Amino acid sequence: MTPVFSWIYFLLCLILVPPLVLSIIGKTKARLQNRRGPVLLQVFYDWSKLWRKDQTLSSTLSGVFRSTAVINTVIYLSVALFVPWLAQKPPIDGDDLFLLLYSLALARFLCLLASMDAGSAFGAFAASREATLSLLVEPAFMLTLVALAVCSGSTSLSSIFAFSINPGAGPEVWFLGGIAIFLCGLVELSRMPIDDPTTHLELTMVHEAMIVEASGRNLLLLEYSYAMKMTVFLGLSAQCFLHAYFQFLPVGAIWLCLLSVAGIFGLAVLVALIEALSVKLRWRKAPEFIAYALTMSFLACLVSIAKGATFR
Amino acid sequence: MSLSIVEIFAVAAALCAVLMAGSLHVKRNIFFYMVQTVLLAVVTAEIARTDGELNLYLIAVAIAILKGGCVPIFLRWMVKRLQSYSDPGMMLAPPLAMHASLLLFALSYLELGSLGALPGSALAASAAASLLLTGLILMLTRKTALSQIIGFLVIENGIYLFAVTQTSGMPLLVEMGVMLDVLVAVMVAGLIVFRIQQSFEHIDVTQLAELRD
Repeated sequence: MTPVFSWIYFLLCLILVPPLVLSIIGKTKARLQNRRGPVLLQVFYDWSKLWRKDQTLSSTLSGVFRSTAVINTVIYLSVALFVPWLAQKPPIDGDDLFLLLYSLALARFLCLLASMDAGSAFGAFAASREATLSLLVEPAFMLTLVALAVCSGSTSLSSIFAFSINPGAGPEVWFLGGIAIFLCGLVELSRMPIDDPTTHLELTMVHEAMIVEASGRNLLLLEYSYAMKMTVFLGLSAQCFLHAYFQFLPVGAIWLCLLSVAGIFGLAVLVALIEALSVKLRWRKAPEFIAYALTMSFLACLVSIAKGATFR
Repeated sequence: MSLSIVEIFAVAAALCAVLMAGSLHVKRNIFFYMVQTVLLAVVTAEIARTDGELNLYLIAVAIAILKGGCVPIFLRWMVKRLQSYSDPGMMLAPPLAMHASLLLFALSYLELGSLGALPGSALAASAAASLLLTGLILMLTRKTALSQIIGFLVIENGIYLFAVTQTSGMPLLVEMGVMLDVLVAVMVAGLIVFRIQQSFEHIDVTQLAELRD
């Protein structure tokens, strides 16, 4: 595949996939609840409405709140640039897995500051919840990526997700890694079993309550960076499953491009299914759910270490 | 390292047991037990295919029907009857119990990974040991008698997996006898739990330290 084509493919996906993921989740949930639901382009309409709207700003605001949305958007755009969430993504130097982890942590830190900056108690509540969740889920995400890195012998993300049949990483490591990243994504994006994103009770929400003070273009940027984060997480998980599939049936470059986009949309439908069928966990039960993600990542580590031991 | 089909399904069954340790929901545990037993039936059928033994096919079908069908249905009926949908748990919190059983899984891999009497059964031995140890953890960390029965069944699955993968076929009569024993044991244990419920009005085994008439 030529570099020009892969850049065009990547930029098209970068623009179109994040809003479409949100639309697909909304549409699937509506269908499951016997509603017709919004049209697939609804997210674009919403965002253009937010673009035209004025901001309402709290009187206690400092510069942190105003700059957070912009900095977060930049962080998530750069994450989307260097993380291989699509097959055949153009390679970019310096794509270390720890850079991904700490970019996410930096963005989260700024988001926490901004939610407390607005001076509303709901934001501070949500910030404390988000801090607790991230504390629990970060080891799981890190261990999963490290397990995959052990298999490929490099911490560079593009060489981990390189679609080569290396003997180190069998389908089982990829499969476990895919499940672990998907579960981590549900927690990181505060989706259903942890937090209900469609409720309007700020007392119990995590992500929605953090951005409750944002409006207008600020809100647009926060929503956009949220969609980008979701795409990156679902994309990484889909890539893991695709690698597991690739170990059985190697396919061509064009098919990989199509399958990776289809994988992201498929996982978005799965998120919607989980949201329609399950109930929100009590806050005290959340660590038990996250423990499953941690178990999957531990297992991936164990398998990769065992395989490494047999190969050396 | 390429895994044989027997090993893949045996390890998947062991993972089901690990996931059981992470949940206190009795019905979810019963579901995982059912999946695990069906996986063991697949292991048996695969061994029957490679060894060309017709006996083992019968045993696989019997396991899938009796242990994978009848026992879970009976247990679910008991859950409904006793109204004990969730176990309070003791000693270890479920996430910690799950991680402890994962540790035991790794330990049994290290200890038994090289022990395999038949070719392609090395991992199956460690999966069987891990099933046994996870069953022990389940019995140690559960408070109600019903959950302890499930833990016992997991231990029994481990013993069966070890026997079927490390020997080249057992006599059909012995297998059938063992399976009937398990079925009867579950029934009797169920009856005893009903009696305990009737005379003590709970099935919490930690409260059963003193005699009563």
